[in-house]
Amino acid sequence: MTGQALLWGALYALPLLVRSDFLLTIFIFTFIYGILAVTFDLIFGFTGQLSMFHPAIFGVSAYMTHLLAVHAGLPFWAATLPSAAASVVLAVVVGSICFKFRLKTFYFAVVTLAFSEMIRLVVMNWNSVTNGTLGLVVAGKPTMYWPGSGVVPIKGPVAWYYLTLVCLSVTVLICSRCLRSWMGRCFGAIRLNEDLARTLGINVFRYKLLSFAIGNALASFAGGLYGYYTGYIDPGYLGINQSMEVLAMVLLGGQGTLIGPIVGSLVLTGLPHAIDLRAELRAVLYGAILIFTILVMPRGIVGTLSAWRSRRVS
Amino acid sequence: MSLEVRGLTKRFVGLIAVADVSFTVEPNEIVGIIGPNGSGKTTLLSMMAGLLSPTSGRVLWKGRELQRLRPDIIAGQGVVKTFQNPQVFAELSVFENVHVASHLRLKRELGLRRALEIVGAARDVERRLAERVAEVLALCNLGGATRQFAGNLSYGEEKMLGIAMALMCEPELLLLDEPATGLGRDEIRNLEAVLDKVRAAGTTLCLVDHKIGFLRGLAGRVIALNYGQKIAEGPPEQVLNEPAVIEAYLGAGHARA
Repeated sequence: MTGQALLWGALYALPLLVRSDFLLTIFIFTFIYGILAVTFDLIFGFTGQLSMFHPAIFGVSAYMTHLLAVHAGLPFWAATLPSAAASVVLAVVVGSICFKFRLKTFYFAVVTLAFSEMIRLVVMNWNSVTNGTLGLVVAGKPTMYWPGSGVVPIKGPVAWYYLTLVCLSVTVLICSRCLRSWMGRCFGAIRLNEDLARTLGINVFRYKLLSFAIGNALASFAGGLYGYYTGYIDPGYLGINQSMEVLAMVLLGGQGTLIGPIVGSLVLTGLPHAIDLRAELRAVLYGAILIFTILVMPRGIVGTLSAWRSRRVS
Repeated sequence: MSLEVRGLTKRFVGLIAVADVSFTVEPNEIVGIIGPNGSGKTTLLSMMAGLLSPTSGRVLWKGRELQRLRPDIIAGQGVVKTFQNPQVFAELSVFENVHVASHLRLKRELGLRRALEIVGAARDVERRLAERVAEVLALCNLGGATRQFAGNLSYGEEKMLGIAMALMCEPELLLLDEPATGLGRDEIRNLEAVLDKVRAAGTTLCLVDHKIGFLRGLAGRVIALNYGQKIAEGPPEQVLNEPAVIEAYLGAGHARA
């Protein structure tokens, strides 16, 4: 517990100590992907449902936040809320279909992937709104109220660092509150033994759907942030490789933990920058590290470390 | 009348597992269901708990039909079943296992207000819940194993944990599927003591077993099944002396021997 507090403290203090835009940029991407990975872990690591729907939410919310800002004149923050609401609607529709038919593991993954691909095709071909494969340029900036200077746009690495870090912290806080309550007990029961959960009076359908909806609603903020940060949105946001990336982060960092996905996100976003190799070699090394971790540390970095620590204590 | 089973039948492809079985269970009674292997005992119990849907027939609980309801709803109405092969959440501690089973109690106590618990506004309810979990574990003589992982328990302890979880659901009617099978003599004595306490607390019990000695001491009324059909019903001594029951268990040659 204190270890985690220290970690968060260090993250909040980092820009005060290090003045490297390169490093801050890596962390900004880490935090945005961290939001995706943590919310994916809520559904996968905690509730046991291998969802492949995250790319759809990531992409749809990126497009929606931007389009609402441009066409309806909403500020960034106001535009994220309808995007989150739309994500909940999508999650409830897709989740209801999957969970009513009791799709599990592999089957659930494939069907959510199919839904995600369907949405990607819609986005790609709806030229009048999304500009198709050419994508959209996001020129706006999120704004915030700053005492003394009124409403100011958020730009520059330090401001973005704090913006994304706060968003990640809020995501982790909401997830951890949910998981510590009765809701987390129901999620765990479903992951470990669905039939037993059912006979103990837990409405399995409802709690799977709840986990799926909360996870996707929170994931939508990552999409909005990513589009605004990179300044560019294209249908690649909704590609299957996004699912693989997020899954790799969670497996590497440690599934069923809230810190693990963030660690995984840091390693997998930082690694390509840290290793200065030709692109092909880098991909090989990246793959090798992933395979090695999964073979040697099936519980991920954080899972292995905490198991090692509790062994030393007892 | 609390539970009434009326003409319950389950047909699997080419096999009739339960054929037109009818009986009732009265409040605060202990009813035992006996029968040789494959006589349909577990199928019958599973249909009563909503885990299997019957081919025909009805299960009435306080006058309401149960047979089309989901298991979690049936559990919420006070009919809870344990499993023959103990089912536990192996990766959780014994305490956490029973804590998970407190879901129905929390739901009854708080309703939708349980959403407040997420922001930490219902701490006292959670505390009382944890106390209740400890009580249930003590009642089931599992107080010493609270912190152990359920996966590390012995077979008998796992079965007892299954009962503890079912009790945490606060059932009015507890359905026990072969609670004594595979247990040693001391464990059976322990089980009898626990079930006595459960009945004394006002829970009705319906249990399936083929350990006849165990049922003889416990059940007030026994129902005997063979090939899915009810062949006898009544006080234990009477049922166990019925020729049809002796024949089903030991073969025709032993009847009236």
